[in-house]
Amino acid sequence: MSKTPENLYYTEEHEWLSVDGDVATIGITDFAQSSLGDIVFVELSDAETTFEQGDSFGVVESIKSVSDLYTPIAGEVIEKNEEVEDTPEKLNENAFASWLIKVKMADPSQVENLMDAEKYKAFCEANS
Amino acid sequence: MKRTSLYESHLSLGAKMVEFGGFEMPIQYSNLKQEALAVRDSVGMFDVSHMGEFFVSGKDAVKFVDFLITNDFKNSPIGKAVYSPMCRENGTVVDDLIAYKLSETFIMICVNAANISKDWNWMNSHTSDFDVKLVDRSEDYSLIALQGPKAFKTLKSIDDQLEDIAYYSIQVREDGDTPIIYARTGYTGEDGFEIFAPHETIMGLWSKLLEKEVTPCGLGARDVLRLEVCYPLYGQEIDDEVTPLESGLGWTVKLSKEDFIGKAALEKSEPRFTNIKLLLEKGIPRSGYEVVNEAGETIGKITSGSMSVMLNQGVAMARVEKAKYNSKSELYVSIRDKKYHALRHKGAFVNGGHK
Repeated sequence: MSKTPENLYYTEEHEWLSVDGDVATIGITDFAQSSLGDIVFVELSDAETTFEQGDSFGVVESIKSVSDLYTPIAGEVIEKNEEVEDTPEKLNENAFASWLIKVKMADPSQVENLMDAEKYKAFCEANS
Repeated sequence: MKRTSLYESHLSLGAKMVEFGGFEMPIQYSNLKQEALAVRDSVGMFDVSHMGEFFVSGKDAVKFVDFLITNDFKNSPIGKAVYSPMCRENGTVVDDLIAYKLSETFIMICVNAANISKDWNWMNSHTSDFDVKLVDRSEDYSLIALQGPKAFKTLKSIDDQLEDIAYYSIQVREDGDTPIIYARTGYTGEDGFEIFAPHETIMGLWSKLLEKEVTPCGLGARDVLRLEVCYPLYGQEIDDEVTPLESGLGWTVKLSKEDFIGKAALEKSEPRFTNIKLLLEKGIPRSGYEVVNEAGETIGKITSGSMSVMLNQGVAMARVEKAKYNSKSELYVSIRDKKYHALRHKGAFVNGGHK
């Protein structure tokens, strides 16, 4: 079974969020990297990009597939992880250690609609 | 959806199953990259039982098949296989197939799963001038492809009678209505065999090959492998809308042949498209992405694209308009509104080790 750290928020698109004040750090979960297989390309939105909840902030590609990344919260990108764009295989090695973007949230209360670790585990089991 | 005789084995091996050509097929077992590399470095096997098998018999069998396809079948020796498109009168492609000459009066034709009924109808609508009998045995045959540099050695180790036949040759066992056919063919560019046999025989062979630690490979790996060696796929590089001359298959069109369906059209046709191979410095081209020249003009589309597991770079085949294509122009692939530089590649991206 995939790892699911307790202190994070989770989305139905298999992303994780770590929240510090009004800044959310977003990545993809172990379940996501494992379903994708070998991740060979990552493209992320640049700093200062703003988006609404549900907008795409980039893509992850495996050998045969392209998956959009959707932001579960509105806000502005303050930093993207260029290291993961250069070495996408790091997502396969440890998805929780390789964040993708940091977002200054427009409305931090939006995280309250996301799943906690317990709910996300149940969600993965129901969808695997 | 149809299932092959190996369906239960795929599930027990943990395969991820998808719909392909009306069948529920394994797209991947554990890891696509490892599956593809097993074929390049050692040996892997694919269940391709979804493909169709037609048998043509009768006095005019060879003449009939030669008339159906663009490549030369008449002069091919007994025991050889011939790859060819099969065209309409206007030169567009009904399907691409392999015809196996078992004898001068008995021929097997292997066709794409998605085209079985289209091909069947097409062939049957052209039999009137020929003394032939056509039978669809797709339901009676299973087919596995054993591919990789160790394919012969592995198969020989469980099968004494296997002969070290030449590339695109066949060894026929158990003559009769349902021959077992070992063909030195494949869709990966590597050495290997495709084995056509009744379901029980194939299920037994698959199990023995698993015991020999042959890597089961899914259609995902198969697609990357065939793209690396630039083999066309029906529905991508070739389809109902284009001729073989527009899809990189000019070498299969033998206009010197006396006659074949589509000959007149192909003789005077001026190809609208050309098939080019592209290697990207960065980014992964996918089917449907646009190819753009240095003036920013869209000149065509990617027909197949992927990350190459051997090169770790994006590779693609594309269909571009001849009128807009200049081989000296820099080319780009448009990926999510960004332009990625693409190098025109001559020949295959990977040289398979087939005989």
